Amino acid sequence: MEKAEATKLTHHFESFRMGKVWRVLAIARNAFREAVRDRVLYNLVIFVLLLIGGAIFIGELSGGQERKIIVDLGLSAMLLFGVFIAIFVGVGLVYKEIERRTIYAIFAKPVGRGEFIVGKYLGLCLTLLVNVVIMGAGLSAALFYISGGWDPLVLRIWPAVLLIYVELMILTGVALVFSSFSSPALSALLTLLVFIIGHFSADLKSLADSVGSTPASLLFLSLYYLLPNLANLSQITPAAHGQIPAAAQVVPVLVYSSLYIVVILAAATLIFKQRNFK
Amino acid sequence: MSQANRTNGNASLLLTVFLGLAAVVGMSRWLDSRRPAVDASIEEETLYLNATTVKRLSLGFNGLAADLYWMRTLQYVGNKILDLPPGVRVDNLGQLDLKLLVPLLDSATTLDPQFMAPYQYAAAVLPEIDVREAIRIINKGINANPSSWRLYHNLGYIYWQQEDFTAAREAYGQGAALPGAPAWMTAMKARMLNEGGSRNTAREIFARMHEEAADDLVKNMARARLLQLDYFDQRDALRRLLAGYQSKIGRCPESWREVGGVLQAAKVRIDSSAAPLDPTGKPYVLLKGKCDIELDPKSGVPAK
Repeated sequence: MEKAEATKLTHHFESFRMGKVWRVLAIARNAFREAVRDRVLYNLVIFVLLLIGGAIFIGELSGGQERKIIVDLGLSAMLLFGVFIAIFVGVGLVYKEIERRTIYAIFAKPVGRGEFIVGKYLGLCLTLLVNVVIMGAGLSAALFYISGGWDPLVLRIWPAVLLIYVELMILTGVALVFSSFSSPALSALLTLLVFIIGHFSADLKSLADSVGSTPASLLFLSLYYLLPNLANLSQITPAAHGQIPAAAQVVPVLVYSSLYIVVILAAATLIFKQRNFK
Repeated sequence: MSQANRTNGNASLLLTVFLGLAAVVGMSRWLDSRRPAVDASIEEETLYLNATTVKRLSLGFNGLAADLYWMRTLQYVGNKILDLPPGVRVDNLGQLDLKLLVPLLDSATTLDPQFMAPYQYAAAVLPEIDVREAIRIINKGINANPSSWRLYHNLGYIYWQQEDFTAAREAYGQGAALPGAPAWMTAMKARMLNEGGSRNTAREIFARMHEEAADDLVKNMARARLLQLDYFDQRDALRRLLAGYQSKIGRCPESWREVGGVLQAAKVRIDSSAAPLDPTGKPYVLLKGKCDIELDPKSGVPAK
């Protein structure tokens, strides 16, 4: 009797857990579909045109450095386009549902607020993944064309592509945090600021070390630890020289990024749970 | 709205677009023709931001920013060459007044310290403008890329050009000791002290530079110097030949035909007028009464 009850409980718990996962995945799939419907992936056309133009004309202008320049150009465009998508789509993820009042319909079903936030986040991450993978493949093809055949850079750019994607995942999370309590315009501005300051992390640390006053030093140090250190994920320039980052360098950065994403998603959920939609 | 009205409306909008575009193109051309020439002092104005600031502001796009500075460098030098009056030859880039070259190359190498092309360019082009800056930029590159033997080759080349063969020997020696350095770096080190000023050493240096260069300007410069070395050898041989003719006949030849047979016997390449040909295939000019020669003004060999 006890054993049967325990099995029943376990089954109930499993189905609840699986239901949770399915609900998150359903929201993610919807968010992805919405992004595709909003023609977010149209930026790929601009990217491809940029690469084609670069591949054709850079040879004339670069003094024999077309391979390096096409990698710099391709990876930088990938990051820049990705940042714009993460910011401008990310800040609208929650806001649009509230604005269109579809959030009532969603929460009328057995969907938790955390599931909603994580689902939306994963949906945009999937959009960005598709974007980044297609761009990476396009860049590899452009390198293939420029080199007139096989080029080791075709493969060596991919660790940098992975780190760009991780950077975009962090920014999407940041955009989600801001959009869970403020307007899209302000959220976009704040996320953009985080992107900028995230690349100045080293300066924040040196400012904290060099500034005379203790409160100021504490402020800079807090900013250094609170804001994401995006400079760690910057591998575009070494990738253009064909350098692959060592696993000992990448793994800690991936662990740091994963932890940061967990923290910001938890913070977004926490803030979103406090919101009253009445 | 009826179908006819809608069609008419669309046609007038299309017409407005076309006419408007034509007017815009016309206006642009009119404005271009009236635009005053750009003040040369503004064009040569020093860069507003130094390289370190640009790197700080580049938000991880420093590689791309370095590429832009690199392409701007090539455009800057290229435009200076194109701006020269027709017929004026560039034997020395120092005559082009390339004020922005140092800050441009400095910015490109600070933004991306592993970008080798600007260092190579600095070694090949900058010594004619500012040797100290050229050495500084190459040393900056060596500090950022201590295992790159090519930078030591560039440094050795600058010292060799300044006839500082001791420093050149040291640079080639340090480069030769690095893993992956080719054997000719060691040979170059050995050559510097005993025959640093010889043509063979020069030929070796320019041949290596031609081999290593990615940029066309550097490649062409090395090729021109190799042609010039061939010209110096030919000039010495022709002078000896003309001096021999003078000691035999008692005067210098009036035309190449007078020495045509001797030239043929010496297996010198000549044209239909018996004039010997320089390494680019242009006939040498005989300086009458001087037993000497000079390059044809249209020759591709640099005179200096």
